[in-house]
Formats: sequence, C-alpha cells, structure tokens
Amino acid sequence: MREFGEIAERLRRSTVQVFSSGHDGGGSGTIWSSDGRIVTNSHVARAEKAEVVLWDGRKLEARLVSRDGRRDLAELKVAESGLTAAIAGDSDALRPGELVIAIGSPLGFAGALSTGVVHSVGPISGMGRERWVGASVRLAPVNSGGPLADARGRVIGINTAIVNGLGVAVPSNAAVDFVWRGARPSLGVTLQPSPYGMQIVSVDPSGAAAAASLRPGDILVGTHERLLEMLDSGQDTLRLPFFRGDTARLREVFVRVAPRRAEAA
Amino acid sequence: MNELTALSTELADIVGKVGKSVVAVDGRPRYGSSGVFWRPGIIVTAEHTIRREEDITIALPDGATTSATVAGSDPGTDIAVLKVEGHAGDTPTVAAGDPVPGNLALSIGRSPDSGVNATMGIVSAVSGSWRTWRGGRLDRYIRLDLTMYPASSGGLVVNTKGEAIGIATSALSRIAGLAIPASTVDRVVDEILSRGHVARGYLGVGLQPVELPDHQKGLIVLSLEPDGPAAKAGVLIGDVVISLGGTAVTDTDDIQGVLERHAVGQTIKAGVVRGGNGLFVDVVIGERPRRN
Repeated sequence: MREFGEIAERLRRSTVQVFSSGHDGGGSGTIWSSDGRIVTNSHVARAEKAEVVLWDGRKLEARLVSRDGRRDLAELKVAESGLTAAIAGDSDALRPGELVIAIGSPLGFAGALSTGVVHSVGPISGMGRERWVGASVRLAPVNSGGPLADARGRVIGINTAIVNGLGVAVPSNAAVDFVWRGARPSLGVTLQPSPYGMQIVSVDPSGAAAAASLRPGDILVGTHERLLEMLDSGQDTLRLPFFRGDTARLREVFVRVAPRRAEAA
Repeated sequence: MNELTALSTELADIVGKVGKSVVAVDGRPRYGSSGVFWRPGIIVTAEHTIRREEDITIALPDGATTSATVAGSDPGTDIAVLKVEGHAGDTPTVAAGDPVPGNLALSIGRSPDSGVNATMGIVSAVSGSWRTWRGGRLDRYIRLDLTMYPASSGGLVVNTKGEAIGIATSALSRIAGLAIPASTVDRVVDEILSRGHVARGYLGVGLQPVELPDHQKGLIVLSLEPDGPAAKAGVLIGDVVISLGGTAVTDTDDIQGVLERHAVGQTIKAGVVRGGNGLFVDVVIGERPRRN
C-alpha cells in the first residue's frame, strides 16, 4: 500500500522529540500548527523551557505555554514557521478495531512507527472518569506526547501511558479543547487518599494552592470527585474545608483558580 | 476512501457487529474478563477468570448489567458456562473449517467501563487435537499472535468475516494466547448443560512406566484405589499394563488418551502382564472423583 508509506511519512514530520531543561530523558511531541504550537504530555514538558528536535534533526528552543496536569497535556511554542502540522481527527467517532499508527522515538531512534488497532474508547478502570483511547500498539515510554493516528493519518490521540501493555492516549478532542481553551482549573497539588479526605503530598509553587498558603500534609475534606466538580464549575474562587495537624479543628481556605480562556464559541 | 481506510472501517464494523454477542464478566478480583453468548441465555468464558460461585456480574452489550450463575466449568479446557435469566443474547456464527496460520484474527472483549474492545493479530499455528497442561483436550491447537490484555480472556476470537474461531484464553500456554476451538466449546457446553460437569474417565490406579525383560514397555501398578474400577476388575498391584482398549500404552499420557476416547461406564480391555504371563482384564471405566 503506497498510501501507508505516505501517511506514515507525513505523520513522522509532525512528530518531534522533546527534552525538558533540567530533566533526564525525554518524550515526544505533536506539531499542532505550522507556526510552532506543539502539544505534548505535561509529564514530558516539566520545565519552562525545552529543546525540541524536528524530524530532520533541527534543534529548536521551546517555551512552555500551558500545562494541564489533570489531563496530562502541555502546549509548547517554538519560534519557527512552515512546520508540518498534524491534522486532528474526531476522537469521539473512533470505534474499536480501527487501524492506528503511533510514532515516537524509542531509544533515541527518531520517528519509529508502530501499528495496531483501537482497543477501547472510554474510561479505563483505575484511571478516573476521563475518556481515553486504548490502543493495541506496542509503545515505549518515549512515545509519550507523540501522535496516535487513524488510517487516514489524522491524529486521534496523544500517546500518554502504557497500562498492562495497552497503549493509552488522551483523545484528540481533549487536546483540541486544551489548545483552544487552555488548561482546566487546578489547585496545583498532588493528593493521596487519607481517612479524613485527601492529603496534600506536594504543592506546585506557582499553583493556586501555594498562593492560598496550603502546604504538604494538609488534608482537604471531601472526595476527589467533588473537588473536580468544584474546579469545573466555573467559579474562580473555591472555598475549601481542610485540616492542618489537628483533625478536631476544621479550617477553611479560599483558593483563587485561574479561569479558562473564553468558552468555545 | 483509500484501501487502508476501507480495511480500518471493515475491521471496526466486524467488532461492532460481533461485539453484540460479547459481554463483560466480573467473576474475580482486580481484573474482570470477557464472555460470549454461546447459546440463548448461556455465556461461555475462560474458567480461570471465574474465582467465585456467586455474585458474578455481567455487563451486557446494551449497557445493562445482570447477574449470572455458574452452570458448570471444566478447568481442563479452561471453559466455564454461565447462565443468565431474561437475556437470550446474540450468538455468533461459527466459522466453517479450521483457520490456517497467517489468517487475520480479532479478539473481541468487553469491559464495563469502556464497552467493547478489540485486538488484532494473526493465527500463528494450528495443529490437531492437543491436551492442555490442565488435562483437558482441545480439538485443535490454535495459537494466536495478538496481544492479550488481562481482561481479554473469555473473549471471542473471529476471522475477518466475523465468524467465531473460538474463545480467547491466556491460561493454556505460557508463550501465547490460544483460541479454544468452537467445536470444543460446543462439546463442553453440551456436557456441562446435561451433566453439570465434564466427566473424565478413571481407572483408580497409580502407575509407573517400566521396561519388561523382553524390552517391551508398560506401566506397573503401584497403587490401587480400594473399590476403584481397576480393583473391582481384579487388577493387582504389581501387574504391568501394556495395552488399553487395543492401544499399546507406555506412559500415563497414553492411558489418558485412551480414556478420553471412551465414555464413563464403558467396558474396556486392559492387557496386563502378571507373573510373566499375559492376560486381559475387563475394566468398567469409572468417573474421576471431582475435587471439591
């Protein structure tokens, strides 16, 4: 099939390697616009600056535009034009059994291709209520941030994780939404379950929780689901009950979360 | 539409169509598994994925959930048969003829979270009747080169026409997923529905391969189940069994092979050497006691 080679080659040119400053290892990225927007995973873009390597070996400096830790997405920008942008498909129309192609750079080998079929579309047990595209393709950790495309070469997911051997990608529609409207509001904390609620394990110094003086060890009262509902409610100030040290004394904190860009027009 | 897109659409169509007979089964901790409506109201799944007798939940193709009871199971062939009330289900069309190595195959499963799921690969090997390490016999050994995930077992393996090749299992081979052939599933389902279990022939003897002075090989009787089929037939400890049902036997696999071809209750001739003399003993095949 001649078309297959063409589709793969085009996709390869829309795939970059991403190396975050000050972090070992790297991942992949997907060129989202010809003027230099690049979508990758937030677990790949861990610093304000990154080095991006194009398919032809050119190295470009990228800056972080936005990160959404909740959806594991990040947007980078390079000062370059005339790039081969990927074409996004409609991930909501995907069906199990459809052929898919993944591109990444395992072991530094740029543009390696793997193929398979869509395994499942929807939530994955143990990974929250979000929708994912499960793909029966052999992925390596450095595929993270790279494109998962359909038989037409349209990107239908951003490869993100490997779960029991299954390739797991963020649906392209979530990536489109992220690039269009920015990150969803978040507290900028990592949480773990505790008997009284959710204990803060770490705090992102530039996040909303840090600005509200929440710190590691504090326990947010309530369920994770309820917290997500509040974050997505559109309010810019959230009132959160929490415990600090003494679980007999309930405290309260007001957290200002960054609003999203304009609602989709 | 290009060739690749056409193929992609065709594969997804097959998954959509065949998926109507595939259910999600929750019968063990951690990972669920898949199952297939093999007959109206009867679901077949992989036995190793059913770890409890009760509280087995089924997520149906239409999204509804229901509970199932275990009609019976056969660990030897890794088949469990479940019954559901009030849901007949769509049953798949079974492929006529055997697959050949190189044929494309899809393994179709279901999860309660994301619905129908699929993996694709090829049939990598096909051979004749094969005894599993669990002691059952499959009519064919059908090895699959496709990725099996934890919940893939019990799913339906189909060809590119959407016809059933068999039931997917990861528990019968260390190196690959296998399809339990549709004909084996049919046979085991019949037996379980009529009897509640698969009866296996039993002689009630402990045997050890030996070589006789004339270089003939046989199996010496080391122990006898009191009142077991062999004991009742007059077999003695120290007898050397050299044939069963007209077939020469040199190891215990040969004995199992003969018993598999004979029904419980049938009388079979055992050729034994006792004190240097050959003689035949008629043994009524008993049923292997089932572990409880």
